[in-house]
Amino acid sequence: MNSSAKNRLVRWFHQLGSPPTFDRFAARWTPWAYLLGLLTMGIGLYGALFQVPADYQQGDSFRILYIHVPSAWMSMAVFALMAFYAAIALIWRIKLCEILAMACAPSGAAFTLITLATGSIWGKPMWGTWWDWDPRLTTELILLFLYLGVMGLYAAIDDRRNAARAAGLLAIVGVALLPVIRWSVVWWNSLHQGQTIRLLGESSMDASMIAPLWWMVVGTHLWFVGSLLARARADNLRREAGKDWVGKLAGHESLEQAR
Amino acid sequence: MSYRDYVIAAYAVFAAIMLWDYLAPKLQLRAALHAVRQRAARSANRVRATNTELER
Repeated sequence: MNSSAKNRLVRWFHQLGSPPTFDRFAARWTPWAYLLGLLTMGIGLYGALFQVPADYQQGDSFRILYIHVPSAWMSMAVFALMAFYAAIALIWRIKLCEILAMACAPSGAAFTLITLATGSIWGKPMWGTWWDWDPRLTTELILLFLYLGVMGLYAAIDDRRNAARAAGLLAIVGVALLPVIRWSVVWWNSLHQGQTIRLLGESSMDASMIAPLWWMVVGTHLWFVGSLLARARADNLRREAGKDWVGKLAGHESLEQAR
Repeated sequence: MSYRDYVIAAYAVFAAIMLWDYLAPKLQLRAALHAVRQRAARSANRVRATNTELER
């Protein structure tokens, strides 16, 4: 990358930190992210439900994997991203990063809830129980509580910047849980099965069953981008409610015109 | 399809939560813009009331 292109990229990145620029960016790309996410997940779901053969042991119940595993990965990835944004916001006091960190929480909580609920529904026919205080299940439940804690803390404090800092700190501390979730099936005797799918190395899942999973993984990521931008845009507008550009955006005459 | 009800229930949960994930920010955005419009309308009314007073 030559220096001119690099400068342009840095300038664009700085400009994106400005609330009106971010609003335009989010308004433009949110529908595309949702649409691409929906299409990609549609391909994945079609493959998962109609193309992939039933598992020789678990029958068709294994099809739950195609929503359970991508959601579980997202639940952890979104938490890590939230902590990353929160750390940037705390160190460099970048307002947009506070907004983005807090916008991660509801979507991450949604993916965690999907993981727990679909895991429970899958567990009933396979394990004979809806729930077990197994290390993987319990740590994932704690992750949901952490998400709810971040959301609750952000909502409980009136000053938006102080609220984001307090909730962001909880997010950063909560990152310590992620490796515990990841390695829980290795460290402890777990009812939950061990790692089946590997990003690096050979998966123990048959190759004919893998493709829809990757479609779903990409689809959930794209969907999350749409959700993140939409939530961040709403929070950005709430914070900037008194500013003229928001008034103009809302399609109303400004105070100057009324005079 | 074996375990059909479980598969349907799991996918229904997924669809319902994703729908919420789509609708919730849309509603938040609408509420934020509505609050801005109300704020602008209140400000405009205040200015009009002040101008009327001065004209008297």
